[in-house]
Amino acid sequence: MNREHRIWQWITHIIMVLASIGCLFPFVLLIVSSFTSEHEIIREGYSFWPKSFSLEAYSYLGGKLNEITRAYGVTALITIIGTIVGVAITAMLAYPLSRQDMPYRNLVAFLIFFTLLFNGGLVPTYLIYTQAFEIKNTIWALVVPGLLTNGFNVMLVRSYFASSVPTPVIESASIDGAGEIRTFFSIVIPLSTPILATIGLFQLVLYWNDWFNGMIYITDSKLYSLQNMLNRILTDIQFLASGSLGSNVRTGPMPSETVRMAIAVIGVVPLLIAYPFFQRFFVKGLIVGAVKG
Amino acid sequence: MRKGKRLLSMLIGGALLTASLSACSGNNGKNSAGGAPSASESGESSYVITMAYPGNDPQDLQLVQDEMNKILKGKIGATVKLLPISFGAWQQQLNLMLSSNEKLDIMTVQSAEYATKVAKGQLVALDDLLASNGQDILKAVNSSYLDATRIDGKIYAVPSIRDFAAGPGILMRKDLVDKYHIDVNSIKTYEDLTAVFQTIKDNEPNITPLVPLNGGSTTLTFTDLMNTSDFDTLDDSIGILPGLDNQLKVTNLFEDPMYEERLNLVRQWYLNGFISKDAATMTDSAVTLMGAGKAFAYLCRIKPGIESQESASTGQQLVAVSFDQPVTQTSNITIIMQGIASNSKNPEKAMQFLNLLYSDSDLLNLLDYGIEGKHYVTNSDNLIDYPEGVTSATNGYTNTGILFGNQLISRVFKGNDPDIWNQLQQFNQNAKQSKALGFTFNVDPVKTESAAVQNVMNQFKGGLETGTLDPENTLPKFIDKLKAAGLDKIIAEKQKQLDAWSQNHQ
Repeated sequence: MNREHRIWQWITHIIMVLASIGCLFPFVLLIVSSFTSEHEIIREGYSFWPKSFSLEAYSYLGGKLNEITRAYGVTALITIIGTIVGVAITAMLAYPLSRQDMPYRNLVAFLIFFTLLFNGGLVPTYLIYTQAFEIKNTIWALVVPGLLTNGFNVMLVRSYFASSVPTPVIESASIDGAGEIRTFFSIVIPLSTPILATIGLFQLVLYWNDWFNGMIYITDSKLYSLQNMLNRILTDIQFLASGSLGSNVRTGPMPSETVRMAIAVIGVVPLLIAYPFFQRFFVKGLIVGAVKG
Repeated sequence: MRKGKRLLSMLIGGALLTASLSACSGNNGKNSAGGAPSASESGESSYVITMAYPGNDPQDLQLVQDEMNKILKGKIGATVKLLPISFGAWQQQLNLMLSSNEKLDIMTVQSAEYATKVAKGQLVALDDLLASNGQDILKAVNSSYLDATRIDGKIYAVPSIRDFAAGPGILMRKDLVDKYHIDVNSIKTYEDLTAVFQTIKDNEPNITPLVPLNGGSTTLTFTDLMNTSDFDTLDDSIGILPGLDNQLKVTNLFEDPMYEERLNLVRQWYLNGFISKDAATMTDSAVTLMGAGKAFAYLCRIKPGIESQESASTGQQLVAVSFDQPVTQTSNITIIMQGIASNSKNPEKAMQFLNLLYSDSDLLNLLDYGIEGKHYVTNSDNLIDYPEGVTSATNGYTNTGILFGNQLISRVFKGNDPDIWNQLQQFNQNAKQSKALGFTFNVDPVKTESAAVQNVMNQFKGGLETGTLDPENTLPKFIDKLKAAGLDKIIAEKQKQLDAWSQNHQ
């Protein structure tokens, strides 16, 4: 049986190692090609072992430092605001829903659930945001739409509250004289860090990677986020290649292949740094769960 | 632990504050915006003309706009707000702006959605406005070209003055042409190219003799470019007029013997290794490949100045060979136009502004090239160039001049022939005009079929027209699938519209 166990271990490990390599390789290729010279990529194609090492792409980005820093700033700002506000709204909406004694909780829960299945479609959504809220070409265009589409997160947090924050604890807090607000901040939130960290990470990735809102609501280049910039470069190239302005229109130089890779690299690095920070919470959550169980 | 708790509650408190602030600012924005435009609309002297066009949002846009407004205030008593929308987002953002009635006066219109925009009532009919406020446009744009923009007898957008014709041609690297003593004057037909490509393949193993203009894109493929002078595509190549006439009888391009002949030629080039094996799927454009020194030639559409334009884009000295006379069909004219949106509160002012773009060279130069001395300088032979130490990538203002007004009154950029605008006029005048010039196909009645046919085309065209697929087996299959997708219905509809058009036209 011991031997069988060891074989099983070997097999599972090999599968996992292969899977990890499968995930890592494209990423390594991305980084390597951002350091390859443009001519080599076009002549020889992508390669893990380029013949020449080149900082061309990064020095091009260095020349555009203003735009890149600005885009970085926009991305960082919307990510921080969006994540914090998003988690706060989600938690505060989910908590009452998790309480058995809240009136009309099923109705509210249904309304939230409804938004998961149906939405107004692009044009009505655009109309509301640009005409009722006037957020076109403002930083809010990048923040607000992301805040209001997290019905799934609300359901997730509600279930966590309902299952992992025992009602007796809440009742005891109330007996000790804590109001609802106090109970929420001092009892419920500290008990729920794992789920808050989880949806925090969801929100973080959502905001960091968002380009769609930028594509719809932003025309002012000062408000481009990093992903928006990258997406625009790609779609601009596609548009010009489609020849819809005729075959002979040239619009000045487009960023080269390696530059696109370099932008993708600098776009992904902060997320890699942020992830281990969040991971702490997940591990802690698991331990707490295990002790209680 | 306690510290952490405090931090978290502070964060949430802060978040609540931000959320409430954002709600407030949302309201404020609404109130102020509700008041502002009506104030500016009432005073006609300060009317702001919003103009949307595809382009990048340059750093110094505001400076250029201010300079333009100095001219405009004196001449028409209005100001302009430039609204460049990046190419990739252009169609989506413009359609959203139109469907949500956002403030918009002038927009760039492309042939592909011209008829649809007119059918939806998003464009103002311009005939009366042209007569009252657009005299210079009527003077500058030859009436036969202006007539080409008519839909149901009315003009809904005016073309920018540029190359109104195109002929098929090829651009080749000059250094290699000289090295192997290729006589460009002896190249008359596409078959003549075979020997040229063979020379390059034999002597330059690292260079692909022929690359597609736009990678694996299904538009402007090898055969599309070869067909330039032989067929009127009637907007979308689904149903065409052979010889630009054919007594106005619409036929199917893909069943035309000439199409099959050219497919076979391309297939032969492919089998001989003149075209790279991944031509149907690659994404690099000819300009990129040429710039990297990997390509010898690409097929293109000829216009005056094409050699210098493409040489500048690719960084390689290129030589052009033309195969046939240039032709003018409707899409050559309607592919880039400026129209006035139905949302416009003041179409007269918008027309006056458009009119200036066809007559006021200072205004047009500002829009096209920016401020003299800052974004461009004049050199000795009256051509313009970037200022010292500035390149097209670092310049504070760039724009796509071909989109706007009368190019013939704008400055000429270094690298071009100073006489280019005269050549362009000659070129346009000498072009053969299609019998269906002025007919614009409205695809709406057969929208479903058109989408289905487009899908089939996307599936086959790339492979067939780069020579990757064998035409002998694939072409009949392609035609069958096109028919199954409703090709004949589109051709019948096109014929119906063309007949109606020709009756009104005579």
